[in-house]
Amino acid sequence: MEPTDDARLKRLLREWKVEDAPRSLDERVLGGRQPWWKALIGGSVRVPVPVALALAVLFVAMGVALMRPRAVSPPAIASSAIDLANFRPVEHVQVRIMRGSDVDQ
Amino acid sequence: MLPRDERILLTLSCKLAVDMTDADFRDAYRTNKDVLYRYARRMTGWATAAEDIVHDAFLALWRNSSGYDAGRGTMRSYLLGVTRNLALQRLRRDRPHEELDEDASVIGPLDIAGLERGEMVARAVGALPPLQRETLILAEYEELSLEEIGRATNAELAAVKSRLHRARENLRRMLTPLLETKGTGYGTNG
Repeated sequence: MEPTDDARLKRLLREWKVEDAPRSLDERVLGGRQPWWKALIGGSVRVPVPVALALAVLFVAMGVALMRPRAVSPPAIASSAIDLANFRPVEHVQVRIMRGSDVDQ
Repeated sequence: MLPRDERILLTLSCKLAVDMTDADFRDAYRTNKDVLYRYARRMTGWATAAEDIVHDAFLALWRNSSGYDAGRGTMRSYLLGVTRNLALQRLRRDRPHEELDEDASVIGPLDIAGLERGEMVARAVGALPPLQRETLILAEYEELSLEEIGRATNAELAAVKSRLHRARENLRRMLTPLLETKGTGYGTNG
């Protein structure tokens, strides 16, 4: 039996097949509604390329600075050890000149 | 379509949705996502556009679930209505020359030689005016009743019937070679 015009058109239309919703849609719609701890474990952050490059350069510079041997600096004087709280000027000053022979005695 | 900040938006908007639980939302999503996606895909012709549109439709549902009234129709009809509005917005943006409100257009035969049969059909459906196209897609591919189509597209029953009739007439005209040859001589699938 010859198919009707409508049936033929219907059958022809069915030849255009379209896939179901992709998994990426699930991720976009439901992924944002997961608990914070899951998002923390499996989440991702989009970073613009210029920012990523700047961060990369910064990390490299920091790495180089940390790896470089440091110049030895002179020991600092412990100025905090000096305490002048009980400092009193002496009342009598006696000046004695000592020579080398006096010291030996 | 918004950039991928949508996750943040979804999270922030959780507080606004009071009458729809997380389980309800997931259920509505799983039940309707494929219908909405296929509809948007056939309306726009692009997979990425369809994904954006369906995403935005569910985002709208989550933000304002009170907009859905079970007394006025099924969740599917409601979501199809939202998806339809978003798809038409997208078409207005992407194809400003196309007259969206024109539903009485008569289209002549298309130059579809050299294409596979599925591609020919896609080209022909894509050439229909949007109001005819959406009605045909919902009727032929998603097998919605005329009443459901009317609810989803916010149209009277008579308008739905008329658009469907015109869409089929246009398709017969555009696809005449395929209908006459019964699948031989064109393409590779037949």
